[in-house]
Amino acid sequence: MGNFIASMPSAIAQGLIWGIMAIGVYITFRILDIADLTVDGTVCTGAAVCAVLVVSGVNVWLALLIATLAGILAGCVTWFFHTVLGIPAILAGILTQLMLWSINLKIMSGANVAVPSRSYSVLLTQMNVPMALVFLVITAVVIIALLYLFFGTEIGCTIRATGSNGAMSRAQGINTNLTKLIGLALSNGIVALSGAVLCQYQGFADINMGRGAIVTGLASVIIGEAVIRRIGKNFAVKLAGVFVGSIIYWIVYQTVVFFKLDTDLLKMLSALLVAIFLGVPYIKKQLSGRRKGGVVNG
Amino acid sequence: MKKVLSAIIAVILCASFCLLAVSCANSGAKKYSIGIVQIVQHEALDAATEGFKKAVTDKLGANNVTFDYQNASGDTANCTTIVNGFVANKVDLIMANATPALQAAYNATRTIPILGTSVTEYGVALGLENFNGTVGSNVSGTSDLAPLDEQAQMILDLFPETKTVGLLYCSAEANSLYQVKVVEEYLAGKGVTAKRYSFSDSNDVSAVTTTAAAESDVIYIPTDNTAAASASIIGSILLNAKKPAIAGEEGICSKCGVATLSISYYDLGYKTGEMAAKILKGEEKIENMAIAYAPTTKKYNKTIADELGVTIPEGYTEIK
Amino acid sequence: MDNNVMLRLSGIVKKFNAGTVNEKVALNGLDLTLDKGDFVTVIGGNGAGKSTMLNAIAGVWRVDGGSVVLDGVDITNLPEYKRAKYLGRVFQDPMMGTAADMQIEENLALAARRGKRKTLAPGIRKAERAQYREMLAELGLGLESRLSVKVGTLSGGQRQALTLLMAAMREPKLLLLDEHTAALDPKTAATVLDITERIIKEHELTTLMITHNMRDAITHGNRLIMMHEGSIIIDVRGEEKQKLTVEDLLEMFTKASGGEFSNDRAILS
Repeated sequence: MGNFIASMPSAIAQGLIWGIMAIGVYITFRILDIADLTVDGTVCTGAAVCAVLVVSGVNVWLALLIATLAGILAGCVTWFFHTVLGIPAILAGILTQLMLWSINLKIMSGANVAVPSRSYSVLLTQMNVPMALVFLVITAVVIIALLYLFFGTEIGCTIRATGSNGAMSRAQGINTNLTKLIGLALSNGIVALSGAVLCQYQGFADINMGRGAIVTGLASVIIGEAVIRRIGKNFAVKLAGVFVGSIIYWIVYQTVVFFKLDTDLLKMLSALLVAIFLGVPYIKKQLSGRRKGGVVNG
Repeated sequence: MKKVLSAIIAVILCASFCLLAVSCANSGAKKYSIGIVQIVQHEALDAATEGFKKAVTDKLGANNVTFDYQNASGDTANCTTIVNGFVANKVDLIMANATPALQAAYNATRTIPILGTSVTEYGVALGLENFNGTVGSNVSGTSDLAPLDEQAQMILDLFPETKTVGLLYCSAEANSLYQVKVVEEYLAGKGVTAKRYSFSDSNDVSAVTTTAAAESDVIYIPTDNTAAASASIIGSILLNAKKPAIAGEEGICSKCGVATLSISYYDLGYKTGEMAAKILKGEEKIENMAIAYAPTTKKYNKTIADELGVTIPEGYTEIK
Repeated sequence: MDNNVMLRLSGIVKKFNAGTVNEKVALNGLDLTLDKGDFVTVIGGNGAGKSTMLNAIAGVWRVDGGSVVLDGVDITNLPEYKRAKYLGRVFQDPMMGTAADMQIEENLALAARRGKRKTLAPGIRKAERAQYREMLAELGLGLESRLSVKVGTLSGGQRQALTLLMAAMREPKLLLLDEHTAALDPKTAATVLDITERIIKEHELTTLMITHNMRDAITHGNRLIMMHEGSIIIDVRGEEKQKLTVEDLLEMFTKASGGEFSNDRAILS
């Protein structure tokens, strides 16, 4: 029993790290209402850039910043494919993700770069979980605060409006192409940041890092929403909920691994979880729509 | 919805506690617990794990050791979670099978001894400058590196007329690129052109192999996990094109290669197990143990050699 | 240049599915001039081009020919969101005019910033709330006490009233109403129409209102136009318009178009 509890802090740390990524997914998926698959590539890009820079002796904070900028760039590429070239959003994200595979390999000059905490001064490491948790909780709070403020600004509101009703937004003078750019850039910047943090925690950047990240992110968002719903509708609470969802996901995962249950099934479980939680409200709407009929009553 | 979620979590936790209770009840005399983390399932890695377990049970006795074997299904994030479980469970030793597994373990604990296997280059994997063969601290292990210059020489021995060699490997594997670079350099030194052909995953193996076969005299395949998994496909393409291949390990060679400087992954794992036993019994300290290599044997694939009309000289053993 | 002209459409052409079997010429060299303060009702059968004309003015897409000049400014080549600062729009679908996931006050705050450059300043200030409460109170729908309620929970009529308010907020040069009461039940439709009249009168807005209800078309506004197959076939104003009856309109239509009026809704209402 004691050992199980001992395995929880690192699981929570992983939950917080992937929670940062899930926040990026939340911005595109829930706020902008775009399914952005770029993230699978962006996670690795952030990790690769950060790892390569740290190994070359660059200050680790600067490395984090540059990694975030790399993610912002990736978001811009997806925006370009989608808005300028008119490619459907999902496909645009996939195209960027494919490009990032090659780019990431080039950044790392290979498939893997080691950034062990024993040799480099990183901000957090699995070797010292308590310190890592402190760093991560502070990071989470800062991210939630900044995003809460941002989405309350005029520009933030235009992004929310775009995701809620694009036609109405244009009728209200909002340049929806611009808002999509900001949203995609911001989201991917945050995802890259999560990758940079992850590579420091686990001590390496690997080309296979981001595989299936979008599903993990969506699962976290959805679990979080289900859990937080009774607590409040405040935007800050919703963002915190994303972190909570991610932490729950990784605790469940660590539990499955700890008790030697079949880990092969976990990807299927995550996918099913996402499908169920997305499908139930949709079906509910369909059923109630049929009862009320066509004309909207005053 | 919240109820469904709570129900699922509750069921998992309940099942877990039951298992925990059972496992607690079973702990009796001092048993060594060893956590094995393997990045993905395939022949070579599985053989290494088997060899490892056999050696440990041979040296320590089957009743005195429990293995916790975890497979990461190719997902590096899983390695972190698995290793975290080992550390929390305070295992006596961790066996890390393949590079990402080793890296995850290396960054999770400074105290629990970690033995790596199926890792080609420890200095690169762990970011160590001026690596001299001993990692030190709580890490050691075995390397699956067959002396690459001998391997490259085998190409020239068996096919002296070779002008161009195609180097076929998966771009997502750090180990492979390392081997490719060394072989490339050696061949260049002997005046032979070597060209790289890389596929990104099992989906483009066919296309890339076909191109490589068309443009090269001989193909070289390093100890590449993806190539190992796709070896049959590679084999059909090469036989069709009537091009021979030298493989970096026996598993690949048995499906698509003519010859290999083989190290048996089973033997490699076995050697790792012997090291583990010494560490656990306190006979040696891990920080002093240098990376070990398994002995090599020249092996050849009779079926493919015959089909391509290659004469195999003395000193080669047939692959069964 | 006449200073009294608010809108001049000259030779507007719009084709859909051009060059294919399904090609439809929705607007065929349409001309229309609106004076400042005109409140024009627009009627016509299905496919007459009414909505297309409004969309052409709003810039939802580029026209294939002709020009749109609004208060002396040629807006023919401006994208939709850039024209928005001169226009106010209410759509037929009550869901279309507001952002369902945002609160009433947030929607109003967006409308208040229509045409202005958006910055990192707060999306809504305290002082604004008092203003919005007043505006909403005038609607008489009880919305003034529900400022922070999400618009998605409101009924269709409430959403349309809100959209109307938002459309009129920045004193638009032209108000475009596209059958905005069509999806509402008769009682709510009447309420919304009342609010519409009030707002138009108060702000002296130049208005184009598409309606399927011929009686409404006659009683509201100072001018009535009827469209058919992409052109305007009837244009009546002032006294002549006041005196019209529904039967008159039907007769005028048959004479002008040489066919039967094909819109049951319009005839039966």
